[in-house]
Amino acid sequence: MTASRQIGALLKKDMIAELRTKEMLTSMFLFALLAMVIFNYAIGSSVKRGVVTLDLTSVAGGLAWIIFVFMSLLGLNRSFVHEKDEGCLDGLLLAPVDRSLIYIAKMVGNFLFLLIVEAITMPVFTVFFVKENYLPRVWLVVLSLVLGTLGVSAVGTLLATISINTKARDLMLPILFLPLIVPVIIAAVQVTGGAIVGTKEALSNAPQWIGMLVFYDIVFMLAAYGLYDYVIGE
Amino acid sequence: MKRNWPTYLAAIGGALALATIYGTFWVTGVTVIPGTNMLNFAQKIFYFHVPVAITSFIMFGITAVAGMLFLAKKQKAYDILGAVSAETAVLFAVLTMITGVLWTRAEWGVWWTWEPRLTTYFILLLLMGGYFMLRASVEDPNRRAAFASVFGIVAFLDVPISFFSIRLFQSAHPVVFSGAGAAMETDMLATFMTGMVAMVCFGIAMLAVRFREEKARDELEHLKNLLGS
Repeated sequence: MTASRQIGALLKKDMIAELRTKEMLTSMFLFALLAMVIFNYAIGSSVKRGVVTLDLTSVAGGLAWIIFVFMSLLGLNRSFVHEKDEGCLDGLLLAPVDRSLIYIAKMVGNFLFLLIVEAITMPVFTVFFVKENYLPRVWLVVLSLVLGTLGVSAVGTLLATISINTKARDLMLPILFLPLIVPVIIAAVQVTGGAIVGTKEALSNAPQWIGMLVFYDIVFMLAAYGLYDYVIGE
Repeated sequence: MKRNWPTYLAAIGGALALATIYGTFWVTGVTVIPGTNMLNFAQKIFYFHVPVAITSFIMFGITAVAGMLFLAKKQKAYDILGAVSAETAVLFAVLTMITGVLWTRAEWGVWWTWEPRLTTYFILLLLMGGYFMLRASVEDPNRRAAFASVFGIVAFLDVPISFFSIRLFQSAHPVVFSGAGAAMETDMLATFMTGMVAMVCFGIAMLAVRFREEKARDELEHLKNLLGS
């Protein structure tokens, strides 16, 4: 079997398993909705002069990424809990598949699941918090979501594999993952937020931020691809 | 001589650290804040702060290199080196943060600002926190070593990227403060270099002592196991 067919088979397995239960997608989407309710009451109003509802458009990029980063923790953990608990990981390791290909398949799977939930969440989020019409710049929002999510899944898949094999299990992932993802958050918030707001100043550095995201994605995908063999088990 | 070299190195470091203190307070003059005639006494912390910061970064680099060597050669010594260099890195990073925060307070009037270098060190500390949590939660020594090595390498890759993205973030927004001082005079450079050598000597001596301690502990465990079985 060629590498692409092996990746395809692994990916198909994850897709079928997820589509049967839909627990990862539903839980991530519900988490996103709940986070939005919390945002509205936590930062959507000013307590200075009674309760005044604030316009959150200018911080919408940041809010969106708070949701997506924490939501990704749910998905990333979930993607390995099943493998580990039901012994599927052992099966994968026994199968004549290059371990780095397992990484690619898992990474692409996580990337797609996150992107699906983001695609469903973003319109709702826009209705709730964005007062600006960013339809002409929606391609930039999509680009930032794709690049940012790629970084999240590149690092997250590697670290989820590590944390599922520790005593602390899913507690470990946020501690390892969040500090590493800081550059992605900084850059992605700038691009997503800039595209939503759409002023000239907000967009002036967008090319550099996109460059930063692409650089991060490439560096960490290569690093994780190279290192995955050492973490997935003896 | 051979066995005691860390002690000698620490002694050299100590002597040079005293020389740095002498240089800081009695040799170099007090600089003036550019554009004003106000004396900038706080600048003197620079002779300690920067060497400590660079040493912590060197130690952090050793963690990553030890990780790569472990993954390549699977020798226990590299795992121990990774763990103790991470400890030393944390010690120096904490000192960097403390001296940095003191300087920020004196210079800018606030205890904390999200300035690129301070923020990067903060992230570095958080990464190291994760590194030790990870080590503590894996029991199998081989697995622990492999995980720690991988995380050490990835964390080391992350720090420069964080630094540049935070700097780009700052430049995209109005920068109120600028850390750049005047060019260094010869006496300042000499004091700085003395401090630099002192801190690197200290760092390496600490690393060596801790490495031997951990290595001895490991050998002891091994012998205990042999006796037990």
